[in-house]
Amino acid sequence: MPPGPGRDERLLNLLACLLDSPAGRTMEELVAFPELGYPPRHESARRAFERDKDSLRAMGVPIAVSTNDGEHRYRVDPREYYLPDLDLTDDERAALWLAVTAVALESGPAGGRGGADPGSAGTSALMKLGGFAGGPAEPVAVLPLDGTVVALFEAYQGRAPVSFRYRGETRTVDPWGLSSRRGHWYLAGRDHARDARRTFRTDRIEGEVEIGTPGTVTVPADFRAAEVLADQPLRYGDGPPVTARIRVDPGWEAALSGFPRDPEARFTRLDDGALLAEMPVVNRDAFRSLMIELLEHAVVLDPPELRDDLVAWLRAVAGEVA
Amino acid sequence: MSPRPVVEDELRRVLALVPWLVAHPGARKDDVAERFGITREQLEHDLALILMIGVPPYSPGDYIGLDDEGETVEVWLAEYFRRPLRLTPAEALTLLAAGRALLAVPGSDPDGPLGRAVAKLQAATGDADVDVDLGGPRYLSAVREAAAAAETIEIEYWSAARGEASHRRIDPGPPFFALGEWYTDAYCHRRGEARMFRIDRIRDLRPTGRHFEVEPAPAGARPPEPMAAGRGGVPVVVDVPAGAAWVAETYPVDEVVERPDGGRTVTLRVGEPAWLERLLLRAGPGASVREPETWRDLGPEAARRILERYEQHGA
Repeated sequence: MPPGPGRDERLLNLLACLLDSPAGRTMEELVAFPELGYPPRHESARRAFERDKDSLRAMGVPIAVSTNDGEHRYRVDPREYYLPDLDLTDDERAALWLAVTAVALESGPAGGRGGADPGSAGTSALMKLGGFAGGPAEPVAVLPLDGTVVALFEAYQGRAPVSFRYRGETRTVDPWGLSSRRGHWYLAGRDHARDARRTFRTDRIEGEVEIGTPGTVTVPADFRAAEVLADQPLRYGDGPPVTARIRVDPGWEAALSGFPRDPEARFTRLDDGALLAEMPVVNRDAFRSLMIELLEHAVVLDPPELRDDLVAWLRAVAGEVA
Repeated sequence: MSPRPVVEDELRRVLALVPWLVAHPGARKDDVAERFGITREQLEHDLALILMIGVPPYSPGDYIGLDDEGETVEVWLAEYFRRPLRLTPAEALTLLAAGRALLAVPGSDPDGPLGRAVAKLQAATGDADVDVDLGGPRYLSAVREAAAAAETIEIEYWSAARGEASHRRIDPGPPFFALGEWYTDAYCHRRGEARMFRIDRIRDLRPTGRHFEVEPAPAGARPPEPMAAGRGGVPVVVDVPAGAAWVAETYPVDEVVERPDGGRTVTLRVGEPAWLERLLLRAGPGASVREPETWRDLGPEAARRILERYEQHGA
C-alpha cells in the first residue's frame, strides 16, 4: 500500500478546500475526505485537525468559524486571505530585497520574546511579493525587533487598543505610531487612564502585550510619530518639565553627544573650561541615564529634587542606606 | 527559541510559488529556483507537491494543472491560490522597518525605488507606517566617503572609557549602525590592529590622501558587533533585578537565565570596566556582579566616586 499523503500535502489541500468552500465545512466533512488523509479514528482525526488549524493560523491564515445549531463550520474568506496586489516594479522589489538584506532585524540579544522571527520574516515576505532579486547587500544596520514590537504593530495596523505592564502598572493605550530611535522602539498613543498622549519604550514593557478589539482606534489625522518622537527622551513622560543645570568637566561634553540636543537646551562655557548645560527634563530615568554616562565628571547643580534623586539612587547602589 | 518546523517553511514557499507560476507560464525552472532561493531539487519536490493539490469532489479536473516540460514549467487551474497569503504583521513590519531604516541612512533617495516600494507597502498593509531614525553623526558621510575611496584618515577620537581625546590614523571600514550608534570597523595605525570606533565620538577628521588596500568582505557578511563575543572582552556574569530585565534586551549578551523572582542572570562580554560601571549604575541597586570576583565592587565603587563629587559640592 502506498503511504498516505504527507502533512505538507494535507495542509495545502485543507487550505485549498477552506478557500474553495464559501459555505464553510464542518470538521466531520473535512476529516472524511480520503484525499486529505486524516487518520480513521475520530479522536486521532480531531487532534490532527486541531493541530493543522493551529499551524495554518500560526502562518497567518485567517480561518473563520461560524456556528449554527451547535455545528461549527470552518472557512477561509479569500478576501481576507489574499495579499492585495502591491503592483511593485522590478526595481522596487529589488530595492526592498536590498533593504531586507542590508538591515538585520534581530529578535534582540536575549533571543527576544518569541512570536517573531524577523530573519526569516523578511525572506518569506519577499517570496510573497514575487521572489528575490540579486545577491545580498552589504550590511548597513542592525535593529532589534522582538515579539513585543510585532504585537504592538499588529494592534496598530488593526486599529486595536493594547494593554501591557509598564513600570509595575497596567496601561491601556490606543496605538498611534511606532518609532525606532537610537536602536530602541517606542510606542506613542493615547493612554486611556490618563486620557493623554504618552510614549513607551517597548523593551521596558513587562510580559505579554494584549491586543483589544480591532477597528476601535482612530489615529488623529495630524499625528506624526516622527514629530512626536523627534522630541527628546528627556521630555518623555508625565508633567511639566523642570530645568536641570549641570556642570560638565572640561573634555567630557563629548559624552553628551549620545543624547539628542533639545532645542531649548543652553550651553555656556565656564572660565575653568567646564561646560554649564541647562536642559528641560520630564523623564527622570532618562536624566539619570545621562548623568550616569558622565560618571564622576559632572554634577547636577539644580534643581534639588533632581540632584537628590540621583544622589539617593547612587547611595542605594553604593550600599549606603539613605 | 524552538526551531521553525520545516513543513511550515515549505508551505509558505509553495503558497508563494503557485501564484507566481500561474502568472508566469513557461518559466524556466532554474530562474524560479534562483528567485525563490531554493535548489533545483527542492523546486522539483515542490512541483511534485503542487501536483497533489485539489479541491472536493477531487475529480481529475479539480486538481491544479501542471505541465512539466523538463526545463520549463506551467501551472494553471489554481483559482483558490491565485494570490499569495497576505503578509503577517511580522513580515509587514520587517519590510517596513528595513525599508525605513535604509531610507533613514543619510544620503539615501526618498523618491527612489525603495521610497516608492515602501509607500506601496504601507498603503497595502492597513496604512500602517513605522518611523525609523538612525541619527547622523557629524562625520558619518566623511567616514563613508573615506571607506569607499579606501583612504586613510586622521581623527581626533574621544574615549568615554578613559575620558580623553587622542589623535589616530585609521583605515575606516564602511559605517554601520548597531546598538543605537554608528560605528566603523577600522584598522588603527597607532595600535597596529583592527578597532571599532564610534563615529559620534570623532571630534575632528582630516583626509590624508593616502590609500589602503581593502579585503573584500565575504558575501552575506554580518556587520561586526561592537563589544560582542570574540572581540577580546572579558566574560562577566551579572544578576539584574526584575525591574532591570531590559539589560538583557539592550546589550549583546552571551546568555540569559530568568530567575524565579523575575530577575535575570546575564553573561556578557565587557571590554572596558567603565562600560560595565555605567550598566550597573543604570540597572540600579538590585544589580550585582557575580563574576569575575575582582569586579564585584565595580558598581558600588563607581557610585561612591560620583557621590564624592556631591560631597565636595556640599550635597
